[in-house]
Amino acid sequence: MSDSIRKIAAAVVTIGLAVVVVIGLIQGDRTDEDRARSIGSRVKCPVCQGVAIADSPSETARAMMDVVEERIADGWSDRQIIDYFAERYTDSIVIDPPFSGNTLLVWLLPILAVVAGFFMIFSRRKTPVPKPDEVKQ
Amino acid sequence: MNATLGYLSILAAVVGALGITVRGFIAMRDPERANKGYLGLPVILFVSGAVGAMFFLELGLLTDDFSIKYIANNSSTTTPFLFKVASGWASLEGSIVLWGLVLAGFTFAVYARFFRSESGDRLAAGALAIMGLISLYFFGLMATISDPFARCVQTFSDGVGCVTGENAILANVISSPIEGRGANALLQNHWLMALHPPTLYVGYVGLSVPFAFAISALLLKTTGAAWLTRTRNWTVFAWMFLTAGIVLGGLWSYEVLGWGGYWAWDPVENASFMPWLVATAFLHSSVVQARRGMLQSWNFVLVITTFALTILGTFLTRSGVIVSVHSFSQSAIGPALLIFLVVVLLGSLGLFASRAHTIASSPRLDSLSSREGVFLFNNLLLTVFAFMVLTGTLYPLFVEAFSDSTVGVGRPFFDRMAIPLSFLLLLAMGIGPVSPYRAASARVVWERIRWPVRVALGAAALAVVFGYRNSFLLLGVLAAVFVMGVIIRNLYDAARTRADKLGIGRRQAAARIMRGDPHYWGGQISHLGVAILALGIAFSANLSETATVTIDAGDTVNFAGFEVTYEQEFSRQEPGRFVTGADITVTRDGSVVGTYQPRLNQYGNTRESIATPEVDTMFSGDLYLSLRSIDPSSVTLEVYWFPFIWLIWVGGFLAAAAGVWGFAVKKPERSVARDDTRV
Repeated sequence: MSDSIRKIAAAVVTIGLAVVVVIGLIQGDRTDEDRARSIGSRVKCPVCQGVAIADSPSETARAMMDVVEERIADGWSDRQIIDYFAERYTDSIVIDPPFSGNTLLVWLLPILAVVAGFFMIFSRRKTPVPKPDEVKQ
Repeated sequence: MNATLGYLSILAAVVGALGITVRGFIAMRDPERANKGYLGLPVILFVSGAVGAMFFLELGLLTDDFSIKYIANNSSTTTPFLFKVASGWASLEGSIVLWGLVLAGFTFAVYARFFRSESGDRLAAGALAIMGLISLYFFGLMATISDPFARCVQTFSDGVGCVTGENAILANVISSPIEGRGANALLQNHWLMALHPPTLYVGYVGLSVPFAFAISALLLKTTGAAWLTRTRNWTVFAWMFLTAGIVLGGLWSYEVLGWGGYWAWDPVENASFMPWLVATAFLHSSVVQARRGMLQSWNFVLVITTFALTILGTFLTRSGVIVSVHSFSQSAIGPALLIFLVVVLLGSLGLFASRAHTIASSPRLDSLSSREGVFLFNNLLLTVFAFMVLTGTLYPLFVEAFSDSTVGVGRPFFDRMAIPLSFLLLLAMGIGPVSPYRAASARVVWERIRWPVRVALGAAALAVVFGYRNSFLLLGVLAAVFVMGVIIRNLYDAARTRADKLGIGRRQAAARIMRGDPHYWGGQISHLGVAILALGIAFSANLSETATVTIDAGDTVNFAGFEVTYEQEFSRQEPGRFVTGADITVTRDGSVVGTYQPRLNQYGNTRESIATPEVDTMFSGDLYLSLRSIDPSSVTLEVYWFPFIWLIWVGGFLAAAAGVWGFAVKKPERSVARDDTRV
């Protein structure tokens, strides 16, 4: 088998595998159970310390998870269910901070840090003319 | 008696720490004084004091000396031996004693190194002085506002426990408790809790060694790589323990908390994770400085940040600020730690700024596509990761402090940020170690990652064929298998070349290669551990099954291919607790998988009961049974199936243990150390 054929075969196999993976990625499914878990992970258990209702074995959290499942069955949207809890308790019960208002910054700060970091890295690239004091000893 | 001797030990440690600080700074300025004997006396005094403090606290715990407030409130006559010992660091005051003891251990280790080195080792003398200062602070806390040996002045009417602070109305009534309040119920529930805090503390406190050397180097204006290469083993050692401590914490919450979770982005967890991230960045960037003389300033920044984050972590977990900013003022130690944090930050960053001109400007990057380039990318990712965790942890506190509203920042935020960062880190982990220094051509790198990429795609494609469509699972498999593939191919390729050249077996060649560059291969083994851990997270988080089942006595329900049968209820009195549980039999296709006894434990000193879930680890995953409620006729269980979750523990401990390879394996031949920096 000639070298070029082998190369082409390898490329075809690589691309073929990649296509299968991409198809798998696109077909991602989401059941009601997934939805309940995802909503439950965004609402804090009011009687626990910093744990979401989806992650807490406490009675209160279980009861709230039941509410989530009922609302999903009733056809409520994720947003509506979360707003319902925020209204009944306080805004701080939602531990998934919205990308707006007084929690906008918590999202923006890390993103700004990435931008600043990239800027610093790119500015460290070698300049064409090195300064005299940079001559290695 | 214990209280008096214990407090005297603390005072001895304070005097010793003061002596180390004063004499250390003198020896740093005057090389003639930087000899063995001059610092020996205060070091010995300090170490004996620190050991004495822990010894008398433990002695008091084991002999049920309830005249000491801490012991009256954290132990009892019925507390089992192991948990009496662990009570020595289970609560605030005791944990600071442990902190001090570990600090003394490291101070002694630095002194031992100093003792063996030639006279005139000013760098180590200065480092000892800085460690003395840190010790002075912590033992100063113990001698004043956080005295572990404070006596109990008033007990409750039933003689159990000691009245603290705000409740002590009848302060003139002096009586000693006849029984202690017992250890924290969550602590008593699992032996891992005895192991997790000391491991974490060795990690935390060990990171003060590179910090002390860095500050000493800045003070001496010897800002070359010496401080870094000399503390390298300590950094790796501390990092190993920090890693193991975090993994142990995850394992503990998995085994004890009863919801199958191991990581909740809880502020206390974040407090240990932030220094880990920056210390990891530091481990990587120190390689760049050692090899290429770059990033000198950055390494100072990282090591100072790491130390500051360990103090911040202690502050966050010990001040009560996490529950609410308003509980902050109730503990005296909170403000004291905050002031220390500010002093550390202002002092060290101020010193750093004033010495900036003495730090050699580093050679610039030849090309972004090079080993250095990937290292920079890695450092960017790790520090941004740490910054993100810091922001998410502190943000609610700031909002609460500066406005009337409260906000919640929890798991969804951290997950959403951490997942892409982790994927990028895995990617860098695959590409970095096979990229050449200075300039890496795309062709060379592709040549080296070609097969791993194909294998990773093959593995992910296989998962798709088997019907898995969860995108996080597929991406996780892709990234983790890629990293493993790169490491294995890398070693295989090198071993093959070496074996052909020397005419020896490939296995022998591989062993020689791994011994020849223990730092690099220690790192690679650690990466392998991280990839295994990532695989464990991808599987268990995305393919887990859970159900709440209520079973009548003698009945069976089906769950995830298992048949779960409730046999009967049982209860018994154990030392310090009353246990109620269910006998559960699990079968699969008719054959018995196991019999289990998930339990609820009622501790004397708490109203709520604490569950002990049953976890059965099989090759394909963990069956996890947690008891919710029980009566003789029926039982309600949480049942979980976590596929391959054991990979998390295997990977995590492998990542930690790999550090041993980095410093315990001696190179067969001494290579000339490359030092591109001016000293």
